[in-house]
Amino acid sequence: MLRLNEGRVAFLLVLPTLIILIGLAIFPLGWAGAIAFRVENLFRPDIGKWVGLRNFKHLLAEDTFWKSIRLTLVWCLCVVSIQMVLGFLFAMMLDTRARIVGVLRTLIVIPVFISPIAMGLTWQFMFEPVAGVINYCLELLGLPGGTWHTSTDTALMAVMIADIWQWTPFVTLILLAGMQGISPEVIEAARLDRVRGWKYITNIVIPLIWPVVMVVLLLRLVDSIRVFDLIYIITRGGPGTATLVASVYDFTIFQAGRLGVMAAYGFLILIVINIVVILFLRLLYRQEKEARRVQKA
Amino acid sequence: MRNPIRKAVDVAAVFLVAIYLAPIYWISLTSIKPMNEINSKEPVWIFEPTMEHYVQAFERFEFGKALLNSSIIVFSATFITMILALIAAYALSRMKMRGADVLSLFILSLRFMPAVVIAMPYYLMFLKAGLIDSHIGMIIVYVGYGLPFAVWIMRGFLKDLPKEIEEAARLDGLGWLSIIRRIILPLSGPGIAVTAIFTFVFNWNEYLFALYLTQANAVTLPIQIAKMVDAYTVLWGTISASVVMQLVPMVVVVFLLQRHMIRGLALGAVK
Repeated sequence: MLRLNEGRVAFLLVLPTLIILIGLAIFPLGWAGAIAFRVENLFRPDIGKWVGLRNFKHLLAEDTFWKSIRLTLVWCLCVVSIQMVLGFLFAMMLDTRARIVGVLRTLIVIPVFISPIAMGLTWQFMFEPVAGVINYCLELLGLPGGTWHTSTDTALMAVMIADIWQWTPFVTLILLAGMQGISPEVIEAARLDRVRGWKYITNIVIPLIWPVVMVVLLLRLVDSIRVFDLIYIITRGGPGTATLVASVYDFTIFQAGRLGVMAAYGFLILIVINIVVILFLRLLYRQEKEARRVQKA
Repeated sequence: MRNPIRKAVDVAAVFLVAIYLAPIYWISLTSIKPMNEINSKEPVWIFEPTMEHYVQAFERFEFGKALLNSSIIVFSATFITMILALIAAYALSRMKMRGADVLSLFILSLRFMPAVVIAMPYYLMFLKAGLIDSHIGMIIVYVGYGLPFAVWIMRGFLKDLPKEIEEAARLDGLGWLSIIRRIILPLSGPGIAVTAIFTFVFNWNEYLFALYLTQANAVTLPIQIAKMVDAYTVLWGTISASVVMQLVPMVVVVFLLQRHMIRGLALGAVK
């Protein structure tokens, strides 16, 4: 009879989770991988056949594909960098023991927990060029109102503002967790050495929370590469193709029924995300080794 | 003695947070404004509050049905996810198991899977299995969606419990299941609560899978609210009332979590 040692029991306990994740993640992934090399049409299931790399060639020849790649790149660069900077500033601001700040910390994370659909609609309502409250406020300040999500020139900026608003608090919260982990002795020592202001931030705070910074950066980057809900609800990728980032474009390919091309694009997104994750994990791992060596020395 | 600069920063922080949340006040205010004052060029601040938009959301836009669907799907999925995650996380964090770290990383890595890639195969699978637009189908999808993150944070919480607990229990002759049920469960209450709440939030707000996999019968709240924009001339009153009803549970959640939230997110993100 099979003896149940600890390792076997542990494996049995993880097994249900593994089976479910293989069924719901790995298997569909394999299926999508197969479809990427086939012609499959949602509306004409009878015409499926293997076509090798044709879907990828189709994609690479499309102008819209390259536009969506450019948009996604610009999106990630702008949104993530602004969120990191603002998030860091907010975290510095909220990193104190004052009573009121505890309440503020709770309040500021509310956006993170609200669905992008609800917030997207809220922003769309506020952006309305004629009756919207944002243009009204700008006029009060003597500034010209904008066209926001309704024109090709400003749509990308408008959805960026909505996204930055929603996710900056997430960055703040995690950086704050990192800052509160800095030991009081270090802070005291810095105070005694009169390390203050800018120097305190660059020489003490940032190096000590660097691993946390890298992790938030990774999470924000991955989520920005695959952003969908917020942009889809505000602009559907438009006007024209002004906000047609990768995931939104991929969805429109699905709606057109071109499953093969859709799967091919999905795979390209997946590969990019994988590269980003692996790069970051290697960087983090190397830094950790470095830190351990420094500690030993 | 308090530093005056610090005090100024604290005051500034109060203002900043108040302004930051303006979109949420604005949408809440709009949801109780009379119809003809919503679209006026000058924002109206003083008005007779009305509940008509809330009534409209239920009567004309089937908000009640979507609310019921979301509740059934999200509660069931969260419950199943938690049972699976707790058992798996216990094994991965507190038992001697070869490859536990690699397995944990594999599970975590699935959190990075872009939903667009697997939503389409789901659609085809569900079409074959007759699960399109069904509650059971959505529950299955959300279990898979929440599980990687739930296992990962739960594992972080369980790792923090002192190692000696099980040894003492085992000396008393308790088996695996009774150790989990009688000792680990009561001790990891806060961890379980935080994990369950996060799982609940992700599912409650999820849009993309529901967009692919529901049509009429199992439509969830985000889908139903988004439909309100498509269907008629845009009725901002009704939409804002629906948005408020969708987000109120989340605001409650934030207050329930309070200080656990930082720990929960930090565990999920950092460890």
